[in-house]
This record gives sequence, structure tokens and C-alpha cells, in this order.
Amino acid sequence: MEFFERFAVPHPSPAIYASMVAIGLTVIAILAGLTYFKKWGYLWREWLTTVDHKRIGIMYLISALLMLFRGGADAIMMRAQLAVPENQLLDAQHYNEIFTTHGVVMIIFMAMPFIMGLMNFVVPLQIGARDVAFPRLNALSFWLFFMGAMLFNISFVVGGSPDAGWTSYFPLAGTEFSESVGSNYFMIAIQIAGLGTLMTGINFITTILKMRAPGMTLMKMPMFTWSALITNAIIVFAFPVLTVLLAMGTMDRLFATNFFTTDNGGMDMLWANLFWVWGHPEVYILVLPAFGVYSEVISTFARRNLYGYKSMVASMVIISLLSFLVWAHHFFTMGQGALANSIFSITTMAIAVPTGVKIFNWLLTLWKGKIVITTPMLYSILFIPLFTIGGVTGVMLGMSAADYQYHNTMFLVAHFHMVIIPGVVFAMLAGLTYWWPKMFGFMLNEKIGKSAAWTIAISTLVAFMPMFFSGLDGQARRMYTYSESTGFGIWNMISFIGAAGLAIGFALIVYNVYYSVRYSPRNISADPWDARTLEWATHSPVPEYNFANVPQIDSIETFWDSKKKGHIMFKGDYEKIHMPNNSGMPFIMSCIFFAWGFSFVFAMWIPLIITTIGILVCMALRSFEKDHGHYISVEEIEETETKLRGAK
Amino acid sequence: MNLKELFPRNQVIGFVFSLILTAAALTVYFLDLSFQAGMTVLLVTAFIQAAVQLVLFMHAGETEDKGAIYTNIYYGVIIALVTIFGTLLCMTWGYI
Amino acid sequence: MKIDHSLPLEYSTEENRLKILGFWIFLGAEIMLFATLFASYFVLADRTGSGPAGSEIFELTPVLIETILLLTSSFTIGLGIHAMRIGNKKAMMTFFAVTLLLGLAFLGFEIFEFFHYVHVGAGLQTSAFTAMLLTTLGTHGAHVTFGFFWGLAILLQVKKRGLTPETTNKSFIFSLYWHFLDVVWIFIFSFVYLKGMM
Repeated sequence: MEFFERFAVPHPSPAIYASMVAIGLTVIAILAGLTYFKKWGYLWREWLTTVDHKRIGIMYLISALLMLFRGGADAIMMRAQLAVPENQLLDAQHYNEIFTTHGVVMIIFMAMPFIMGLMNFVVPLQIGARDVAFPRLNALSFWLFFMGAMLFNISFVVGGSPDAGWTSYFPLAGTEFSESVGSNYFMIAIQIAGLGTLMTGINFITTILKMRAPGMTLMKMPMFTWSALITNAIIVFAFPVLTVLLAMGTMDRLFATNFFTTDNGGMDMLWANLFWVWGHPEVYILVLPAFGVYSEVISTFARRNLYGYKSMVASMVIISLLSFLVWAHHFFTMGQGALANSIFSITTMAIAVPTGVKIFNWLLTLWKGKIVITTPMLYSILFIPLFTIGGVTGVMLGMSAADYQYHNTMFLVAHFHMVIIPGVVFAMLAGLTYWWPKMFGFMLNEKIGKSAAWTIAISTLVAFMPMFFSGLDGQARRMYTYSESTGFGIWNMISFIGAAGLAIGFALIVYNVYYSVRYSPRNISADPWDARTLEWATHSPVPEYNFANVPQIDSIETFWDSKKKGHIMFKGDYEKIHMPNNSGMPFIMSCIFFAWGFSFVFAMWIPLIITTIGILVCMALRSFEKDHGHYISVEEIEETETKLRGAK
Repeated sequence: MNLKELFPRNQVIGFVFSLILTAAALTVYFLDLSFQAGMTVLLVTAFIQAAVQLVLFMHAGETEDKGAIYTNIYYGVIIALVTIFGTLLCMTWGYI
Repeated sequence: MKIDHSLPLEYSTEENRLKILGFWIFLGAEIMLFATLFASYFVLADRTGSGPAGSEIFELTPVLIETILLLTSSFTIGLGIHAMRIGNKKAMMTFFAVTLLLGLAFLGFEIFEFFHYVHVGAGLQTSAFTAMLLTTLGTHGAHVTFGFFWGLAILLQVKKRGLTPETTNKSFIFSLYWHFLDVVWIFIFSFVYLKGMM
């Protein structure tokens, strides 16, 4: 029995026991359902072993939506707790756990996979490739992310959630102040997911640099692909920092080293420093693909080519460099001198310039465009004013002298939510709606989609604008309650109403999926939005090999030219197509990684050694394996093409 | 098969050169240099040594991907230096 | 699989070219990995708590031997790749074997060095400086260890399957990795040891 005691939740409550039961029942229901409908084989063949970038993209999107609801549930609980003064809904410990997991889940397990999902699905199609450069590595990336996310999510029912904030600052996150295994989960689950992300970065840079269709020079790439290239470049150089940082944190917690402790020379602030060396580029990893989505959507529905293509590219390249030069603005109050603060303050101001260039380019694309308001376009237009609120308050926070006033208040919380929700979440919802017909062959309902967009946009304002005021009045972030005399009550009540509104908005999106699955017409064309980029030139849903012939590119908008000017993109006869084989190895290896992480969290050394050997054996097997992929024959291509053309 | 074929000239030169650079770096141990002078010697020898490996041994510039490879390395080195010196600025030098 | 015979075997297929570029990009990530370790090391180098400082525990002789071993192994793997390109399988395998043996000798000295540190009271838990020193050296050493087994696997494949587009591609990528570890060691040698003993 003693062995199992470590898995107990140190700070249980009825809500946690209820979640345990709910998780148990859900797992049983899924297993029973798969068995009853005899879907195990289908699941294994078509999904768990797939190396197809489109299916991997869809799995990323499903995971992201699941995590959105997990993180959203956390958010609602927090806002409910703060809605009235001296509320007793949650105690301090639970509140700490919830704001920690809310942050981690939303950034690392919601926003990241959402971006990865769209990139996976769209980028190879936009450049006319058959798949990514390393399809099996891509599957491994997804499964590592997925297992990292699952490991993190079981923390609240097995052993206890992390409770030191999503930034997990030391010495609070050290063993002295965080005794439970919660912070171990933080270190190890994010480590596993981060490895997957790093692999994706390498994979997509190689794909975009080497696998573009003939004629597509770098300066003829669609803007979303450009944003993906820059994003992945940032990933490749930012994520190793996180790898080292988490390893050092793990050593402090499990091997009693003194990197971030306050004795024996340890330096707790080094954690904050390195965390933001990764953390600030991470912000741009999130927001640049979002900007890419807006560029595609705005150009499509303004019925114009994108204004200032070259300046868009240049501004992203500059952002990618500057994003590594601003990190210290996250801890201006930490005590480094005026010189350091001034330097980082100036670089912070500077990064607003290329971002501003992008905003003006979108506005000038809309200018004199024939604007069609569809759901994706509505998100994009709502994004501009809302994001500007977040951006301008960011410049306020970037002034190091003034930051002493705002630091650690709700003003900051309001700022980054006003950046991330319009900047990232709106873009992801716009992208999901925009590419939905390409993924599934039918469209989401426009009416429900638009009402969801309006609900979410208005609720965002209602939820986060009050925090600017309560923050300026002195409400500190991460406080689980406050007294009535502070006068924060009214602002927090308004915020809670906004949070409830956001919940309704996201529920509308779920309803929209349900409604559209049932009632949406299936006889749509391959190009329902009258769009401009290459992914719309193939069938919906997309066949396994993407394009029967490799497209010939000669302008930025070759597909548009082929529609309007009769340019011929697909020349010649079909040839047999080489495709990679499916493999169960990425999934199995990631399962071992999950066991490895779990053993590490609970410091169970023997299982840790066994799983480490298991991982190395998987790698050795892969090295000795002979796998040359397979060919799709010309007859098979003809058959598929005829069938898909007939379906239109 | 003669030895000349197995030991190409520029690789042998590269190896000898890297030994010389190592010896040059050792001067900071044997001579009594100031901190600045010592660090200058170390920086110069280390970066030349890295360049020798990169160009002569790793063939970084031999294919059409030369541009991508060098951009990648330069970008990595710039970000690495920014991270190292920025961290020192925030953690050590900034507290004066 | 289309094979282009005008290029060296390791570049001869599209898949091979992708893998080589992908590995270069991975090395970019490795630069940042070690840069983070160096940044932390420089910050923590003087924070010795009650433990010893670098100048008290570093010894030139073993470090110099390690440096020479690794530099030589970087040279021999370069020769191995050259032999591979002129199609001399036997010479290539010999050079690879020599490289791996030199790597093993390096590891032997490094393990000896670690025992020495622990023996003189500079263990992992002694101070921030010792923890960072051992982590930086350990990360490099772990890379060499991994490289040893990886190289061994490739050597076996070359022996069994000969010089094919796949095996030459793997060998070339492995040589990039091995050279890179040498570059990292040069920086460790200069900015950890020599700077510490200066």
C-alpha cells in the first residue's frame, strides 16, 4: 500500500473525486465503444499509425479543441471564484493549481497544437508537396506532444497538479516550497511535448526550403507558408533553451542540485531569465502563424492580392530576430540596473514597428477591396481593433520605469489576454472555419459561425477590459480572493460575465460542428471560398497524394491566375507516386515516453531505466529498418481522380 | 591505394592547423596575460577552430543548400551570442 | 527511388538531400542548446558557495589529452568520409572504427575526470558552480556516448549492406554530428577549462 500512497492527491476535494470518476467513466466508454463498433483496427490503421500530414493535422486540431475546453473550464472556475469578494468556492491551493494549469494548457497544449495542426494540414498543400520532409518524424512529433499533454492532464488526479504558476518561478517551484510532485509534472510533461515541437520545427523548415513545387521561389510562397517558415525557425532556436531549462529544474527538484535554490551559490532569478529567453520567442511562435492566417483570409475575402508582400516578409524576418532580444521586459522589477532595463525597453518598443507594418498592410489590403463578410473574415476584422488594445497596452508595459506600477497586476493579465485571444485564438478559429471544407468536404454553418464570432469578440472585451481598471487600482494577479473594501468586486463581476459569455461562444462553435455535420450540404466545390492559394486547387477532401500532378508555379497567386487568366497549372500525364509507409513506431515510442515521464515524475528509478532502454531500442530498430515507402500506381490515381471529380 | 589518396591535403592541413590553434590557446595558461588579453586569445582561437571544422571537415558549402546552411549557422551563432551576453547583462553585469 | 549518379552517394536521392539539410538545422538547435548551458555556466561560474572554485579543481593534463583525442577523432572521421567518397569501403570502416575508439578513450578520461571531481569534493550537489560544470560536461559527454552507439550501428550497417545511398547518407550525417561535438568541445576547452585556469 505504501507504494501507492505517492499517487494520492495531496489536497483532494469533491470536485477532484468527481473528475476521477468522470475520467474513469469516459475511458471505459471510449474503450467499450471502440470494441462494440469494432473500430480498433480502423483506429490503428487509419490514425494511430498514420504518417499523412493531413490526418496528423486533424489529430492536432482535435487535441487542441479538447485542451481548449480543459483550459476553459479552469478559466471559468477562476473567474467564478473571483466574481465576488471573499468567495469560498475554491481554496488558495486549488486556485493556485488552476491558474497554473490554465496557463500551461492554454499556451502549450492548446495554442501550440492548434498552430501545428493548421501548419500540418495547410503548408504541404500550399507548396504543392506530397507530404512533409520527414513524415514519420512528424507522426512522432504529434504523439510526443499528445503524450506530454496527457501526462500533464493526469496530474490533477494522480499525485497533484503543479501550483507554482505557468512560469513556475524558483524558489517557489523548488522542493522546499512545492513539495508535491506537481512541479515534476510541469518539468517533464512540457519536456516531452517540447521535444515533439522541436522536431516539427526542423521538419517544416526542411519541407518549406526543399519541397516547393517547381517555379515556386521563396518570394512566391503564400503568406501562411512564409509565416510557418519563420515560426519554425524561431522554434528551432528557442526550444533548446526550454529543454535545458526544464532539465535543470528537474535536477533541482529530483537530484537536489543548486541551480535555482537560494543556498550554495544557486541563483533563483536565472530560472526567470532563461524561462523568458524561451518564453518571449514563444509568444511570436504563437502569433506569427496567426498573422499568416489573417493574411490569407483578408486577401481572399477582400478579393485582392495582399498589399505589401515584401514588407510582410521583411517584417516577419525582423520580428524573428527581435523576438530573441526583448526577453528581460518580463522581469524589469527583478533588480538589474537601469542600463539593462533601458536596453530591453528599447528593443521592446522596436518590435512594435514591424508588427505595426503588418497591421497597416492588412488595412491597405482591405482598402478598395470588395469585402465579403464571411465567418473567417469577421474574425479577422474583429481582430484588428481588439488586438490593437492589447498591443498598445503592451507598449505601456514595455516602458521599464512605468512597469514598476503595472508589474504583477491584473493590468498585465488583461494585456496578454487581449493580445493572445484576438491574436491567436481568433486566428485559429478563423483558420479552422476557412480550411474546414478542405479538411472534411463540407462547410460550417455561416450564421451560427458569425454569431459565435460576435459572442466571443464582445465577451472578450467584457471579460478583460475590467481587468485593466482593477489592475491599475492595484489588484494583484494570482490572488485567490480579496476583501470587499478594495472595491475590486464590481470589475471582477463584470469579468465573470464576460467569461460566461466566452463559454457560450465556444459552446456555439461546438453546436456549429454538430449542426453542420448533420445538415451542411456535401456537394460543394473544391474551392468554395473562391480563394487564391494552391491548397484550393486539389479536391476536397484531399486525396492521400495531395496533387495527382505536381503543379507548375509562375506567380505568387498561380491558382488565382489559373482561374482568371487560364494559366495551366497541371501539365502532363499521371506518373506513379512515391509515398511513405505507415508505422506504429512513433505511437509505441511515445507511449514508452509517457511511461518514462510518469516514472520520472514519481522518481521511480527502475521503471525509468527500463523505459529509457525501451526508447533507445526503438531508435536502434528504426536505424536498422529498411523502409523504402510504396508507390501509388497510375491506375489507382486515375480511379481516385475520377471518383473525386464525380463527387463534385 | 596509396596514402596520398586516403589523406587529402586540405584535411591534413586542417588537422595540423587545429593543433596549432589549440597550442595557441594554451598560451593563456602558460603566460601571465591580463583577463582581457586572455579572453581575446581564447575567442579568436575558438572561433577560427570552429570555422576550420565547419568548412574543411563538415563541407558546409558543398551543395546548393549552402545558403540555407550558412544562414542557419549564422542565425544560430547570433542568437547564441545574444542569449549569452544578454543573460550576463541581466544576471551579472546589470547589478552595478 | 530516383538516384542521381552525378552526386556523391550520400546526396544521390532527394530523401538523402532532405535528411542532410534537416540535420544541419538540427545542429542549429544544438548550438542553442549548448549556448544555454554556456550562458548558465558563465552566470554560475563564480557562485561556488562553500565548494571549490574552478581553478582549484581543474587539471591541465587530462583535459589536454581529451582535447587531442577528440580533435584527432574529428580528423579521422573526416578521412573516413573521404574514403567513403572514393568508394574505399575498407579504409572507411577502419577510419570509423578508429574514430569510435578515440571517442571511447575520450569518454574514459572524462569518467576519470568526474571521479576526480567527486573525490575532491566537487559533486553534483556541492554548489551551483559544480552542478553547472558537471551538467555542461555531462551533456557533451552524453552526446559523445550516444554518438558512440550510433556510430557503431552505422558501422555494422556499412559492413552488412555495403556503401549504398542509405548507409553513406547515415555515415555522412554521423560525421556532421561528430565534427559538431568537436566544435563544442573546443568551446568547453577554451571557456570552461582555460578561462577557469587563467
